[in-house]
Amino acid sequence: MEERGNKRGGSETPLGRGARPAGRSGGDFSEESRAGSHHHPDTPPCPERAGPRGAPRPVPCGRARCACRSGLSACAQRGAEPLIAMESAEAEASESRPEEDGAVPAGDLPLPEQPAATMEDCLAKKMEITVSEAEKRTGRNAMNMQETYTAYLIETRAVESQNEGQCSPVDSLWRRYSEFELLRNYLLVTYPHIVVPPLPEKRADFVWHKLSADNMDPDFVERRRIGLENFLLRVASHPVLCQDKIFYSFLTQEGGWKEMVNETGFQLKADSRLKALNATFRVKNPDKRFTELKHYSDELQSVISHLLRVRARVADRLYGVYKVHGNYGRVFSEWSAIEKEMGDGLQSAGHHMDVYAASIDDILEEEEHYADQLKEYLFYAEALRAVCRKHELMQYDLEMAAQDLTSKKQQCEELATGTVRTFSLKGMTSKLFGQETPEQREAKIKVLEEQIQEGEEQLKSKNLEGRDFVKSAWADIERFKEQKNHDLKEALISYAVMQISMCKKGIQVWTNAKECFSKM
Amino acid sequence: MSGGAAGIPKPLPSSGPKSLREMPHPLATSSSEEMGPALTPSPDLLLPRSVADKDLSLPNGTPVDTSSPASSSSLLNRLQLDDDLDGEAKDLFVTVDDPKKHVCTMETYITYRVTTKTTRAEFDLPEYSVRRRYQDFDWLRNKLEESQPTHLIPPLPEKFVVKGVVDRFSEEFVETRRKALDKFLKRITDHPVLSFNEHFNVFLTAKDLNAYKKQGMALLSKMGESVKYVTGGYKLRSRPLEFAAIGEYLDTFSLKLGTIDRIAQRIIKEQLEYLVELREYGPIYSTWGGLEVELSEPLEGVSACIGNCCTALEELSEDMTDDFLPVLREYMLYSESMKNVLKKRDQVQAEYEAKLEAVALKKEDRPKVPTDVEKCQDRVECFNADLKADMERWQNNKRQDFRQLLMGMADKNIQYYEKCLTAWESIIPLLQDKTETK
Repeated sequence: MEERGNKRGGSETPLGRGARPAGRSGGDFSEESRAGSHHHPDTPPCPERAGPRGAPRPVPCGRARCACRSGLSACAQRGAEPLIAMESAEAEASESRPEEDGAVPAGDLPLPEQPAATMEDCLAKKMEITVSEAEKRTGRNAMNMQETYTAYLIETRAVESQNEGQCSPVDSLWRRYSEFELLRNYLLVTYPHIVVPPLPEKRADFVWHKLSADNMDPDFVERRRIGLENFLLRVASHPVLCQDKIFYSFLTQEGGWKEMVNETGFQLKADSRLKALNATFRVKNPDKRFTELKHYSDELQSVISHLLRVRARVADRLYGVYKVHGNYGRVFSEWSAIEKEMGDGLQSAGHHMDVYAASIDDILEEEEHYADQLKEYLFYAEALRAVCRKHELMQYDLEMAAQDLTSKKQQCEELATGTVRTFSLKGMTSKLFGQETPEQREAKIKVLEEQIQEGEEQLKSKNLEGRDFVKSAWADIERFKEQKNHDLKEALISYAVMQISMCKKGIQVWTNAKECFSKM
Repeated sequence: MSGGAAGIPKPLPSSGPKSLREMPHPLATSSSEEMGPALTPSPDLLLPRSVADKDLSLPNGTPVDTSSPASSSSLLNRLQLDDDLDGEAKDLFVTVDDPKKHVCTMETYITYRVTTKTTRAEFDLPEYSVRRRYQDFDWLRNKLEESQPTHLIPPLPEKFVVKGVVDRFSEEFVETRRKALDKFLKRITDHPVLSFNEHFNVFLTAKDLNAYKKQGMALLSKMGESVKYVTGGYKLRSRPLEFAAIGEYLDTFSLKLGTIDRIAQRIIKEQLEYLVELREYGPIYSTWGGLEVELSEPLEGVSACIGNCCTALEELSEDMTDDFLPVLREYMLYSESMKNVLKKRDQVQAEYEAKLEAVALKKEDRPKVPTDVEKCQDRVECFNADLKADMERWQNNKRQDFRQLLMGMADKNIQYYEKCLTAWESIIPLLQDKTETK
């Protein structure tokens, strides 16, 4: 298959999906923007990316759940709040914090590494990002074996806020799913206090029988394309994440990006799962809010999984009900052949039964988007848990450091005063094998005192880190909660709207059929 | 109209519905004199004209007593009876209702109240109210088939309930049956010939039907086979086109009905399975709502909404089971009855043809055709006429019944969707509410 390099679009074509308001201010997304398939005038449309059954590919931005819309509104309306809160908190340098056991009370809080973006600076505002195409590729993998994979075209364009008339050139590059994963892993490690947006599922899950579980299935690829775009938009509208250089390069620099990511050495910074698990079990005094949040994310994950599973079964059954009605179409037609006066009515009623049976396909396809919205939050629960785990890890680390410091201090004291407070091996051995010389003791005390000083400094910084983490994590969590509530409410509304539409279609069809019957 | 002597074969009344006006009613006035427990053999085409010792006989050979003025005017009434199904000229109304359970030592059974209102002279009183059980309806139907073999007798709901777990005494079953029995009697009532059948009369009026039944049995054994048609194994030469067409039509019709029945059952099955899943689906939203704070109400709302849809779906499935399927089955039975009557007609025609051939073979130089053959010919032609008339009526009824049935089905589905629509529309404000207050 052809390889496509970076496209420098000299043409004036917009991103090609019909009317798309610049900046995506959350305005109306009319039906027009949904229609039509995308292609650049100078490249043939990719055959793989035709929508299901040749239907026009739905545009993510036309949906209520669109990340940019919610992200923006979060950014525009609410995103500012935690940021402001953060900034003002930074100003309150001497605000007292609740003591944590064994930890040293914090003094002035240091500023975070870089100021979070305000709503004006969010990348999403400055740049239009789409994942516009998906293409099957074959290549050789690391073990020099042939493999087939799907590549996704990412297109970006600077937003011209002043001049609505002008269109800036489109940049584009191809990425595959594994690169998205790499990006996300990088973000997870680099920003452990942020609830990092999830990727769409790697493998099709929660499928009802008609849907394919095949990764190469065009419908699956299509939904994944939308999911990947959603991911990029979420990151781009996140006040902190959008400023990341690696992220920016991911969008704009095709060659050498992988090397760049690996050079950051983020893999080394990653906490081992074993370490994290250990911390979870042994931490004594985690912030209660995080413990509760962890519980919540576990339960959220469980309930959404259950919901998605049953929804898939419901879809299956509903499909059956509608399709069986198609049989009426055939038998009414056959029956009408032997009837005189009844014939016409029967025949036309049969046609409506066929329409009814066919209508379920579109209905259920729409519902898949609702399922995808739920899935996003199912995966978000995992990200939430990751933040909580990080807190536990840091807290555990802190507790261990404090514990270590305490024991060293005690040792020092014992050596200095010669009393043995607690049972210790040193104490016993010295009792058994004789006392040390005063010089030896002095040396030991000195070493310990150095260690104690080091330890206290470390503890202080760890404490600060810990507090910092809690503060910034909690700010992001609050941002996330708002986003979640907003998005899920929108999702429920769109689900209700779908159901209403389905009911209206049903009424229409049966009313038509009834009229045909009345003419029998 | 001649008397009993055999003569030139009478010109037959033309076939078709119009002939009904001219057609005699088998139930001659003689029966009005012989009302009551004593059984009179049903006057029918078989009785040779010579037996009837009257001045007048109707074209089909049934004797008519014109001695009593009431009978002749009522006869005229009948002859002028409007075939219109809307029953503007109806003078007989029958209803089946009020099912009651009877528990006896030997058995438990259900009886239904049969109410009659009439102005007909054949009835002593203007109103009757009796209780009858299924057995009695079954008896009536058999009697009608015997006594009116040239006519199509409406079907009864099935006698035995084959499908495993149906409760014979459940409200739904009894109600479904009641409706079918009511329909059965109404169809007879609407029939210009059958409604005058004396067994029907007795059924509607007798206090002790069992006594009547027993007498009937006794008399029957005395009468021997004469009440029934003798259907020997005669082979039919050629079926008249119209009856062949009816036969073919009925075959295809039954097939299609069977298919529709299967489809309807399948739909109900799928709907119930869908319902099972929905019942699990709804409460999950509620569980989720318990986890959330701000989303709690919206999620609860969705849960309740789905619950409402479940109820609506349940109602739809019940309606289809109780109202739709039984009528389909009834028409399948009707088709079967009709086919049997067609077969009988074929037999009668075959007999006639055989006899005709026998006569031709003998090559006798008789100026007149033997009475025997004449009778057969009459039989055939009357049968054909009756059957055609009934077929037309059946077609009309069928058209109306199916129109009503299918419109009803469409209606029920519309109602289902309307209920669901209301449910979902009502939660939209709930879902949007908080969003706006933000």
